[in-house]
Amino acid sequence: MFGLDAISTHNGWHMAALGISIVFTGLVLLSIAVAQIHKILQIYDKRDTYIKRIKNIFRKKNNLESNSSDLSLSEKVNGAVSQCRILIDKMGEPFSLPRLINLSEKYGMSHPYSTINDLINAGFIVPDGKGYFLWNQDDKKIIRL
Amino acid sequence: MTVDIGLIESLDILADLKYVEMEQLTSLMRKMKVTEGEVITRRGDGAHAFFIVFSGDFMVSFNDGRAITLHNKGDIIGCSTVVAPFNYTGTATALTNGEVLSMPGQDFLSLIKSDPALSDKIMKKINMIISERSPFLGTVTR
Repeated sequence: MFGLDAISTHNGWHMAALGISIVFTGLVLLSIAVAQIHKILQIYDKRDTYIKRIKNIFRKKNNLESNSSDLSLSEKVNGAVSQCRILIDKMGEPFSLPRLINLSEKYGMSHPYSTINDLINAGFIVPDGKGYFLWNQDDKKIIRL
Repeated sequence: MTVDIGLIESLDILADLKYVEMEQLTSLMRKMKVTEGEVITRRGDGAHAFFIVFSGDFMVSFNDGRAITLHNKGDIIGCSTVVAPFNYTGTATALTNGEVLSMPGQDFLSLIKSDPALSDKIMKKINMIISERSPFLGTVTR
């Protein structure tokens, strides 16, 4: 068998069509890539900016995590504020810090030492300079912060 | 836990010391972990150890309910180890978990007595701290 019959019998037409489509698909993809080269070069030129952007995204993620831990700390502090204010009102000002801790413990505050330390660090409780302590009159400002 | 010299170089109280002097001090030091609410020194007790705050927050309470709080690395507790009559004037309590560097009072005192130059540098700082804290002592009972 020779000629066109032989081509038909051995799927020659199909193979030719497949070959042509593969080649043309390759050419189309190549032309698209060539058409986009300017964008790739642009990215390469501005690589420092893109690296910074990526770093910023990671930094924002880390900040969000630390903010959430700050929130839990402020929740703890805000919870202790009302408890301590009642005790301080009862004791009068200026008050003794060891006595406040003793009373807080007596009234069931969990971790009274570290909680009152948090209140000192947050500026709710301030020393009077004579060994006693005062409740910060600007506590509303602190809560808003 | 023994103390490496690198840990104490940055501490304010030891800032003016020579390397050899720091080595002498670190040989006496032990790093100690403390937990929230732990009492480190008790007012009126014999001053058996000198402490340097490494991390954490502390309260030193005196007579009449007076107290000061310590929040910084390098703050010291137990000045009475080097001041007669060698009894603690305050009760030091840990407000948070933390770490202190402790030195046996007798050894620290002997070291200071044996080295006038070291004594001069350290006592200058300790006296400064004592004078800062003296207004809080109230009526001291011993």
